[in-house]
Amino acid sequence: MFFNTDFFFSMLRITAPILFATLGAVVGEKAGVSNIGLDGIMMISALFGSLTTYWSGSWLVGLTVAVLIGILVALLMGFFAFNLKTDIILVGIAINMIGSGGTLFLVKVITDLTEGKAMASTTSLITRNLQIPSVQIPILRNIPILGDILSGHCLLTYLAFILVFLVWVLLYRTPLGLNIRSVGENPNAASSVGVSVLKIRYIAIAFGGAMSGFGGAFMSMYYAMGWSQDMVAGRGFIALAAQAMGGGEPFGSMLAALVFGFAQALGIKVSSKGIDSNLVSPIPYLVTILGLVVFAIVARQRVKRQHSAAALKKTAEKNSK
Amino acid sequence: MKKFLALLLALMMVLSLVACGEKDTADTEPVDEGTEVYNVVYLVNGNLGDKSFFDSAEAGLEQLQADGRITLRTIEMGGTDEDQPAWLSNLYEVSESGEYDVVICGTYQMPDYLKEVATAYPEQKYVIFDDNTYVGENSNVLNLTYKQNDMGYLVGVYAACMTVDTNLPLVNEDAVVGFVGGVDSPVINDFLIGFIQGAQSVNPDIKIDTRYTNDYVDTAIAKEYGISMINDNHCDIIWGVAGNAGNGAAEAALETGKAYFIGVDSDQELTLSSDLAALTLTSGLKNIGNSLVWVFDELDAGNEYWGTEVTLGLAEGGVGIVTDKNFDAMASAETKAAVEAAEAGVLGGTIVVDSALADGGADLAVSLREAVRP
Repeated sequence: MFFNTDFFFSMLRITAPILFATLGAVVGEKAGVSNIGLDGIMMISALFGSLTTYWSGSWLVGLTVAVLIGILVALLMGFFAFNLKTDIILVGIAINMIGSGGTLFLVKVITDLTEGKAMASTTSLITRNLQIPSVQIPILRNIPILGDILSGHCLLTYLAFILVFLVWVLLYRTPLGLNIRSVGENPNAASSVGVSVLKIRYIAIAFGGAMSGFGGAFMSMYYAMGWSQDMVAGRGFIALAAQAMGGGEPFGSMLAALVFGFAQALGIKVSSKGIDSNLVSPIPYLVTILGLVVFAIVARQRVKRQHSAAALKKTAEKNSK
Repeated sequence: MKKFLALLLALMMVLSLVACGEKDTADTEPVDEGTEVYNVVYLVNGNLGDKSFFDSAEAGLEQLQADGRITLRTIEMGGTDEDQPAWLSNLYEVSESGEYDVVICGTYQMPDYLKEVATAYPEQKYVIFDDNTYVGENSNVLNLTYKQNDMGYLVGVYAACMTVDTNLPLVNEDAVVGFVGGVDSPVINDFLIGFIQGAQSVNPDIKIDTRYTNDYVDTAIAKEYGISMINDNHCDIIWGVAGNAGNGAAEAALETGKAYFIGVDSDQELTLSSDLAALTLTSGLKNIGNSLVWVFDELDAGNEYWGTEVTLGLAEGGVGIVTDKNFDAMASAETKAAVEAAEAGVLGGTIVVDSALADGGADLAVSLREAVRP
């Protein structure tokens, strides 16, 4: 059986880190900030999250530091991009390179860990009690199938899905959200009514940093035990795709992230039946392309409908004259 | 200002030369006995204390030194990116000095530097372990590599015995074990062929669930694969051969609480954290130290292999399996006997393990893999 409770459970687990970064991308894009450095921030946060967890002996401290480091790196990106006027795409590329090579450098400098052949990692430092715990939801856990799927996830998995709603509230029900959207749509107009474009952009990129911090912490403090090089493995980029596929809206992007989770989980399930791994590994990418095609068709039809509606309206107006 | 800078630079250079020069003096011991005592320098492109390749090589060389067969100087060059320029300059320095009969270095990070220096000093002899990037391009370089299939065979025998040993708390009744490989490539499949043939020698009906992560870094995906192997196909022992990502299989075992893990290359019981180490039954080993001892055994016997690649198997002590700690505590007497018998069989030549690197090996790997799929 492909679609058992295990399947949907792992789909949610695979989705969670992508979803965090997706939310960061959603808020960023709403403010007109294209942060492609989410992947790099995740890797940096993953490293510092796992290191501080080890030093402090508390995952809560590690998680806090991971998020703070995420914010800090994002603010640094903002400084380069907004104040020093560097192209934000270049800043993003730089952060991604630091996320890959720089973290390896840092871990060697900080911990003195080396391994003969394998690259250094913090796996040797992290024991199970230092991981972010999973929680059973009291009543939910007893519901037959639903309980198996929805209960017993990591705290952060729940947080990711709760944040989708909170981000929607932020964007559409708060003055800050209005400012973020207006800065993204027309910075000049926003600034003409007294909104500080710079401040709003800093807030948006810092939010993206915080989300990437959560995502990074999820990777090194729950998903895997400890940090190792390139462990984020492109999830920050998948998040960018999810943001685009979801039309930049929180709920749509969540659905897109879930599609990625579904595809990845499907690939793993299919391989358990003995399908060649070379055929299985492209499944997530095929699903992505399929998703983008569907999205493009829907978007085109919507535009067409709008056009034809507008045309009808015009003819109607003409006729009425 | 410029002059000052130049002066400062010159001063630094002189100082560094002095610093290097100092260490050499103590090491030169008089030559006694019948056989030649080799002056050896071991360049560590990292630091000792890795509980893995570097330490293993150092242990082998120290043994040789204790036996009075070599004089050893070990230089820890550091492993960070900013240390890399020093790797090249150290190679040049020891080659230029002409004091050493053999220069030893290793790992995949060194061949480019070594090629450059070995070309500049054709008279100097070099040994590089666990790398075969430029085999034969320099007639003064010996490449040491290791027979993964021999190692896989022992691990396979062991896993096949353990997966039916239901005295162990996490072992289920099904004779199914797992293999998480990095990429569907000849080297990884060389491990796999040995693993399958070893397991089949114990139990012809054994099932082996093979998955490739297509990646050596994504621990999380390796963990997802591991969980799927454990929950969907009842694997209770998983061998992880996928670099850092392979540890994901150990994490899957820990999270589900239904399986054990086997490590690779070095003794992972020493390098993993305590929770994961407790589930690590054993590790397939590349014995770098033994392989270096072998090199000097051969030199003493008058056999020289400069300019070639020598692949060391079980017979040369180049590969093996960890037999202390968890192995000793958890394996039954029958299991230990089976592993010893397999070792003796390979050593004695009665057992020949096929290789994925040989002609037709790729097809053999596929047919074996599919034949044992659960």
